[in-house]
Amino acid sequence: MTEIRLNNVVKAYGDVEVIHGIDLHVASGEFVVFVGPSGCGKSTLLRIIAGLEKVTGGDVVIDGNVVNTIPASERGLAMVFQSYALYPHMSVYKNMAFGLENSRMPRAEIENRVNEAAAMLQITPYLKRRPKALSGGQRQRVAIGRAIVRDPKAFLFDEPLSNLDAELRVAMRKELAALHTKLGGTMIYVTHDQIEAMTLANKIVVLNAGRVEQIGAPLDLYNKPQNTFVAGFIGSPRMNLLDAEIVAKDGGLALSAGGQGIAIPAADGMKPGDKVTFGARPEHIVIVGEGEGDIVASVDLTEQLGGETYVYCTVEGLPQLTVHQAGQLPVHRGETIHLRFDRSSMHLFDASGKVIVNGFAS
Amino acid sequence: MAVSDNTSLSFGERLNAVFAWPVQLLFRLFEIPLSWVQRTIGIPRMPWIFLLPNLAFFGLFVVVPLFINFAYSLTGGAELFLQNRVYVGAEQYGYLMDCGSYLDANTCREDRFWKAVYNTIVFVFFQVSFMVLFSLITALILNQNIRARGFFRSVYFFPVLLSPVVVALIWKWILLRDGVLNAFLANFGIDKMLFFVDPAWSMFWAIFVSVWAHMGFYTLILLAGLQAIPPDLYEAAEMDGTKRERVFFRITLPLLWPNLLVVLVLALIKSVQIFDEVFVLTGGGPGTATQFIVQYIYNTGFTNQVQNFGLAAAASVVLGVVLFVLTLMQLAATRRKDG
Repeated sequence: MTEIRLNNVVKAYGDVEVIHGIDLHVASGEFVVFVGPSGCGKSTLLRIIAGLEKVTGGDVVIDGNVVNTIPASERGLAMVFQSYALYPHMSVYKNMAFGLENSRMPRAEIENRVNEAAAMLQITPYLKRRPKALSGGQRQRVAIGRAIVRDPKAFLFDEPLSNLDAELRVAMRKELAALHTKLGGTMIYVTHDQIEAMTLANKIVVLNAGRVEQIGAPLDLYNKPQNTFVAGFIGSPRMNLLDAEIVAKDGGLALSAGGQGIAIPAADGMKPGDKVTFGARPEHIVIVGEGEGDIVASVDLTEQLGGETYVYCTVEGLPQLTVHQAGQLPVHRGETIHLRFDRSSMHLFDASGKVIVNGFAS
Repeated sequence: MAVSDNTSLSFGERLNAVFAWPVQLLFRLFEIPLSWVQRTIGIPRMPWIFLLPNLAFFGLFVVVPLFINFAYSLTGGAELFLQNRVYVGAEQYGYLMDCGSYLDANTCREDRFWKAVYNTIVFVFFQVSFMVLFSLITALILNQNIRARGFFRSVYFFPVLLSPVVVALIWKWILLRDGVLNAFLANFGIDKMLFFVDPAWSMFWAIFVSVWAHMGFYTLILLAGLQAIPPDLYEAAEMDGTKRERVFFRITLPLLWPNLLVVLVLALIKSVQIFDEVFVLTGGGPGTATQFIVQYIYNTGFTNQVQNFGLAAAASVVLGVVLFVLTLMQLAATRRKDG
């Protein structure tokens, strides 16, 4: 079992700094997912841990040892690449055995390990095939198998499912989760797909422009985003984020957004006149009867998915809102609907984007 | 478009208009007969019409001479025109192949031919070996992240753009008794070296100059092959703890093998055909030390006192068969690469 620490890790290419002092602790056996938009530095961070990129500043610590100058091969980590990186001229067996042959492991032991991993990943029938004779999913398994046979201290995955079709991605996601349970090793996984992050991770690290925006358990990030970036990035469809101003109303406070007033309970750090960003997830907005809602909206589009309905609507002076309702909702384009925000799930962020409130006490 | 129609046309557009009208006129001229041909033979056969000029050119200057050459190889005598020559059957081939031992040119009736063959074999063996080796080394270096990589890639390719005669003249200028190299060596007290008087040196410089002149082309093919190897594979190998030499022999070389095979066969074909550079550089000398098969054919057919067209044609056919086999190898290699 292995723990990995990053202490103030900085990475720069020439004058351009792409990773700006990241601190992180990956506990032993944890499944940590780095998530963020393209170019946020998540793959670079993974490659730094792997030893494929040198750090410009700070330390990478594996099991208490600083490994900054230790080459990738001696860090005891295994990596699964986005492109699978299988050797095209070698059979599946050779691909899996190659790393072990490098370490001059006895042939019988190599055979044993490869066969065991192949059985676990259900690729035994393909051991004699070349990678080009395999489907995307099978190649992915071989790439994982190549990592497993090395019995590494930790597994590193660099967007391993991004080349698969949607259906296969879901299936492989489940298999990866099962694999983590079975192997119990430390895993670091990079993805830009927040659904993968939410479903696989014990801990998610949200990255943006080379900085950590938030670290936490998937539902913590979902329920308690620390800033507007995380609020907008985690959750699909994304959280509705509206610019608003806190005003005094009827002896209490209200949010003034697009000329509409939404009464809110008082909370620390809020006073009339403050500019805030108000966040509400689509599933935390309820369509109610006339006179019961906080705001009135006009329906732009309805997406009926059978078990759920997405309603896209406009409130004058505000950006388009997305509303999620369970079941099949008979609302149509052009209709006027009344929306009520669930106060216990409302999020308020200050002008700099930092959270003020994640859900008012009911 | 008439040029004078619009004074607001840019210079480029005016130039275009000036050069466009003859092309358009040409198209219109072709349109009338081609429309008639299309109506007559139908659209599916039209590609043959478009291929016809090239086929005619290829036929006239390649296929027909090939057959004429073969016909010449079956004739004897000193007459130039085929109809005046005497049919001798396979006599010329018999004369070429008549050897006491194929390992000793002196036992052959046409010893000059066999000397040229042996010279060619020696040349091809060393030239192709060094060509592939140095092209590979250069490609590997140019594939690294070195300073001024683009400049060096151009520099290595530059000799390919030169005419073989220019290449040979440059090196002759360097290597002659009073050439640049001897002048340079004189600074170190080394006596003038007569490179083109010594058979071994002549062969060495023939090989060296030929490798220098053509290496850029093969380097380019290998460089393209190296760049087509995904960097992920090297990173995976790095993660696997693969040593550098093992990475080269187990990953780079197998993945580069199709390109290497193409380079090997192409270099082999070109090497067997060697003529112009060496002819200008050494003239085949000293004696016949650097006379290769193509020069033998040229001398036999055109420069010897008795111009033996039949024998030269027969030697050409023998060379043609060898090149045909090598070309088949090249095609097989290319097909394997594509497959």
